Amino acid sequence: MSRYAINSLLYRLKKEPEFRARFIADPAAALEGVDLSEPERAAFLARDMRKINALGGYLHLVMSIPGLAAH
Amino acid sequence: MGKIVFAGAMSHVLDPDYYERACGAVGRRTVEAVMAEIAKMGERFSAKKADALIVVADDHLNAFSFNAVPALCVRIGRHVQRMVQDHAEAFDKVLDHMPERYPLHEELANSILEQGIQAGFDLALSWEAPVDHAFLSPVNTMHGTRPIPPLVPIWVNCFVAPQPTARRCFAFGRHIANVVAKSPWNVGIIATGGLSHFPELSLPRVGETDTVFDRKLVHWMENGEHEPLLELTADELDKAGEHEFLNWMVLLGAVTPARADVRYFGELRRINMAAVEWRLG
Repeated sequence: MSRYAINSLLYRLKKEPEFRARFIADPAAALEGVDLSEPERAAFLARDMRKINALGGYLHLVMSIPGLAAH
Repeated sequence: MGKIVFAGAMSHVLDPDYYERACGAVGRRTVEAVMAEIAKMGERFSAKKADALIVVADDHLNAFSFNAVPALCVRIGRHVQRMVQDHAEAFDKVLDHMPERYPLHEELANSILEQGIQAGFDLALSWEAPVDHAFLSPVNTMHGTRPIPPLVPIWVNCFVAPQPTARRCFAFGRHIANVVAKSPWNVGIIATGGLSHFPELSLPRVGETDTVFDRKLVHWMENGEHEPLLELTADELDKAGEHEFLNWMVLLGAVTPARADVRYFGELRRINMAAVEWRLG
């Protein structure tokens, strides 16, 4: 598990609208080359914010990414 | 000789619409009640005609993520921008209607920073970091349409482990009091966030609070008993959802041994809301 990899990805999704749009359109393509473990990648592909939080994704990020936020 | 002329601490998501969405009508009523008390605190602060307002708050992984996460950071420069978030959701949406630019008290910020380094606090500094709701929601609620004095934003890393200790935050507050005392300025200080919410920063636990822990903290603050607060551990704060109490610890160091008056305490399932003001000599 890499706390940095998960959270830097969450941060990009929050702060970079173009990257967010690419992720929403084609998550697998957007995540190509991103250094994630298999469980982390699966959680992002499923947009499973609970799983991402359980894997180390900070709560305030998983609650505030436009269009993807868990409430 | 300068003086701390006002000290207050308060919850910092101050938005009736947010709490109505999260908790229904009781959410709206509760946040409106705490906002009314914070507005009265702001009137008392404005009456002091202070030269500056120090705001001790936390970053919600907006300003510093993840190139560097400072334990304690002083915002220097002449102005600060509010955070801008496209299609803002949840607590970020609180910022949408607020002014975008705020003056800073450059000399006081530089004094806290430079004298802090001399005193052994390895403080971070920033010229560029924007401020989010943790700073601006209380400041704007306090001031309404009145002018806001020059600010000194100070960040405490409340969320990204390992955080600074409660004892260290309190010591930093003592440092701030020393700087103000040697300065020519009358200064207000607020700390924001809390009380208990989001225990363990775990999504399944959003909606839980720890009222017993909150009341213990409030009891110690009301009685000016600050020694037990120095012993609070990161683990205790995390389990109780009291992460943001580290901001309050800085303020407590700045005003100790002053006693606190609770202006508002309200239980809500998402967060326990509070507004507290200290009796300063």
